[in-house]
Amino acid sequence: MKDIFFDLSVRSVKLNFLRSLLASIGIVIGVVAISSMGMLGTNMQLMVKDQLTTGINTIAITPDVVRAEPGASVSSNTGITDIQLREIRDAAGINEVIPIDRTNTQFSIGSNDGRGSIYGLDPADIKNIMNVSEGSTIRGESDAIVGATIASRFNLLIGTRIKIGEPNLSVTRPVVRVVGILSSVGLSSSNGINSDNAIIVSDTWYTAQFGGGNVYDQVNVNLKDVSTLTEVEDAIDKKVNRNKQVVRISDSSSRITSVSSTLSSLTTFILAIGSISLLVAATSIFNVMMMSVSERVQEIGILLSIGTETGEVRRMFLYEAFILGIIGAVIGGIMSIIIGYSVVSAMIGNTAYFFLPESIIYIPAGMFIGMIVCIVSGLYPAWRASNMDPIDALRNE
Amino acid sequence: MNGTPLIRFADVSKVYHLESGDFTALNHISLDISEGEFVALMGPSGSGKSTMMNQLGILDVPSTGEIHIAGKNVASMTNLERTHMRRDVIGYVFQKFYLIPLLSAYENVEYPLILKYKKRDTTGRAAAVLKSVGFDEAMSTHRPNQLSGGQQQRVAIARALVNDPKILLCDEPTGNLDRKTGFQIMDILVGLHKEGKTVILVTHDPKIAEYAHRTIQLEDGRVVES
Repeated sequence: MKDIFFDLSVRSVKLNFLRSLLASIGIVIGVVAISSMGMLGTNMQLMVKDQLTTGINTIAITPDVVRAEPGASVSSNTGITDIQLREIRDAAGINEVIPIDRTNTQFSIGSNDGRGSIYGLDPADIKNIMNVSEGSTIRGESDAIVGATIASRFNLLIGTRIKIGEPNLSVTRPVVRVVGILSSVGLSSSNGINSDNAIIVSDTWYTAQFGGGNVYDQVNVNLKDVSTLTEVEDAIDKKVNRNKQVVRISDSSSRITSVSSTLSSLTTFILAIGSISLLVAATSIFNVMMMSVSERVQEIGILLSIGTETGEVRRMFLYEAFILGIIGAVIGGIMSIIIGYSVVSAMIGNTAYFFLPESIIYIPAGMFIGMIVCIVSGLYPAWRASNMDPIDALRNE
Repeated sequence: MNGTPLIRFADVSKVYHLESGDFTALNHISLDISEGEFVALMGPSGSGKSTMMNQLGILDVPSTGEIHIAGKNVASMTNLERTHMRRDVIGYVFQKFYLIPLLSAYENVEYPLILKYKKRDTTGRAAAVLKSVGFDEAMSTHRPNQLSGGQQQRVAIARALVNDPKILLCDEPTGNLDRKTGFQIMDILVGLHKEGKTVILVTHDPKIAEYAHRTIQLEDGRVVES
């Protein structure tokens, strides 16, 4: 059935074409603002997430906190054993497994004393987990690589010698020679190694000085495919922790979650800014609807006096608001694709994520919100029209 | 008079509360109008004619007293029932025609049918009624502002008739028309009365009032002659 009230609304919109168009433009702007802001935020989020994911392909395995049984002596040997390492290698499959020794100690460069971490690593593994910015990697027995922070604080150069260990008058401290300096990693280190403030030595040198030849402080697993993260973690957990919790398995996926949630609140914030334009649009729709009602008072009087139900009059004006909303939402939706795409490519420089569902969804969502805003703005004018006194309305010239 | 009259005013008063004090537009009016009557309502301006028409048209309710139309007490009806009564029992013809400007002549006539049956007219009734009042079929797609006064009033009468009401309320139907057209419109009303409609007519013009069989004279809200 073709509704005569819808017809009347269409004709009213056509009759006041310019005014209706201007009101719809408000909705267009609102829809475009919401959609493009939403898409901008989402695209940013998707891109940052992708960038972060490339750095989280490391699982760090550390010995679990040792709980001493009452009466039993606490073993000083609280590392990951050779047997456990073999189990980890089994469970990790094709992925690279890197055992790491670590201790905290004092060191001296000339007359300057410092304190930091000493890492013992197989020289072959170093290039896989660290980035040497200057000099070379470890080749000789007493070669060392230093972190960026230590290097700058002590003005370390290639060839500088460092005495390792607590100063002890009766013993000559071992000496390593700096062969390389690592690039700074800051807080973005995702492999559980805070290398900025560390001295890296070969595992053989480390064992010779600090012992623990078959015990490690940490084992890293570098994943070939980051999507297998949970799978590999589960496999290691099942194998090594089968009887009781002996190692802790951690990764930096939680950091992604926190960065994502920060970005998503940022998106919400810019969406809120976008919504202000819809508020402005709502005011203009409200204004146009009120004008339409007050211009048609006599017509409303005629409709009511010859037997139109109040609900039917209300419907007529709600249709009108709805038509304005549809026009605004459709134009707004089309423009959102164009403007949203331009904004994303200009501000993010990457439109690879633009047509993904989680980004493009903002267009129908924006259109829907725009239409709801229109109908809500039309509620009061429609209510006012339908509740007029027909006698007064008829008398209105 | 056979049985209950179609319209009964029993001690009806209408008081408007204005800032300048209360204004009594209708003052204890009692009268009956039977089915098939042709009544002219006359009186100087301010005598209560319009208020009386609003009461007859169920657009308003009395302050005191009771009005029964087609056997129903107006004051005890819900808003929706009054709306339906206006749609089904009463046909209005106004001095200023009051056609819906956004609808064509034909659609204006069809409109009350849509209100009643909630669908477009497929029976041809709207077109038939429009033809019966002598409206040129070729003009039926024109909007009201493209029609002459006489044509508009014909459309308005057709609109009033299309739901086959018992009562036809005509508020100065010839007031905005030239004399010749006015008499043509009156001829239509006389014809409708002959077909059995109860016609109630408000007019200033004694010549027009002559068409009626009964004249009710109002003065200061009272019936002075009936």
